[in-house]
Amino acid sequence: MRILRWLLLPLLVIPLSWVLLTGFSVNPNEVPSALIGKPMPSFTLQTLSGSTLSSTDLAGRPLMVNFWASWCGPCVQEHAVLLDAQRRYGDRLAIVGVVYQDSTDAARAFLDKHGDPGYPDLLDGGSRLALDFGVTGPPETYFVDASGVVRAKQWGPLDAADLESKLAAIGVSG
Amino acid sequence: MALVALAIVSALQPAVPATRAEQATQLETELRCPDCAGLSVAESTSASASAIRAEIAAQLSAGTTPDQVRQHFVERYGQWILLSPTSPLAWLLPVLVVLAGIVGLVAWLVRRRSVLPVPATAAAAELQRVRDEAEALDA
Repeated sequence: MRILRWLLLPLLVIPLSWVLLTGFSVNPNEVPSALIGKPMPSFTLQTLSGSTLSSTDLAGRPLMVNFWASWCGPCVQEHAVLLDAQRRYGDRLAIVGVVYQDSTDAARAFLDKHGDPGYPDLLDGGSRLALDFGVTGPPETYFVDASGVVRAKQWGPLDAADLESKLAAIGVSG
Repeated sequence: MALVALAIVSALQPAVPATRAEQATQLETELRCPDCAGLSVAESTSASASAIRAEIAAQLSAGTTPDQVRQHFVERYGQWILLSPTSPLAWLLPVLVVLAGIVGLVAWLVRRRSVLPVPATAAAAELQRVRDEAEALDA
């Protein structure tokens, strides 16, 4: 009984401390992706430039899918990282933007103002692709390896360090 | 006790809706709006909620069962998309914790009583002493 009394405190304190420490280190708004380790959702959609792009056109290369919108403040902050990503990794990595709940005109105006990275931007009318990826709000970026499996997700704006670590998960390094 | 808890859990489960419209409404109530703060799809007017409502309607019209529709969204968003947890453990665990607390408290009280017995003779002597002191004060 005396041993039990001595054990009671650590038995209560250690799990409680673990729960609090892990809980406080997690962003409560961030939703982990259920797609990690699963094949990327397939799609065939119109692009901002008027052509049609299918997921099969992108097969065989590592891929980054970035959901963005002109009305999204953090997307402006992230845009410089995306411009740099296309410049640095464009030869080894396919990048696709997905215009999230936004008008074509507003999306074009955003690219005119902040710079067009040159990769295709899909028009996801009805948010079908966003629902298939499990998007909760822009910006969100999914990293898909060359075999078409989702390996990582970035919730919120990408910075250079995030980009590097998540590209490494799909076999793309600096 | 576990049976009682299970009965409570069963009672909390919503009845199976009959028509397609009722099934859609039920699913919209169960699913979380992805870009709202704690609202269900049924409660939200956001574009994402509208897209989910359209997807639910399309899937039910195509003959998909409500369970399959629910699973469709869980596969994409994880359990997070469900406003209420599906695991019975989530409902039973608080009941079990409260029961364990009550059992622990009762055990502690019983043990405390047995550790600190008050002999009847000692209690009577103490009472007599207090009475004597009170009488002395009155005198």
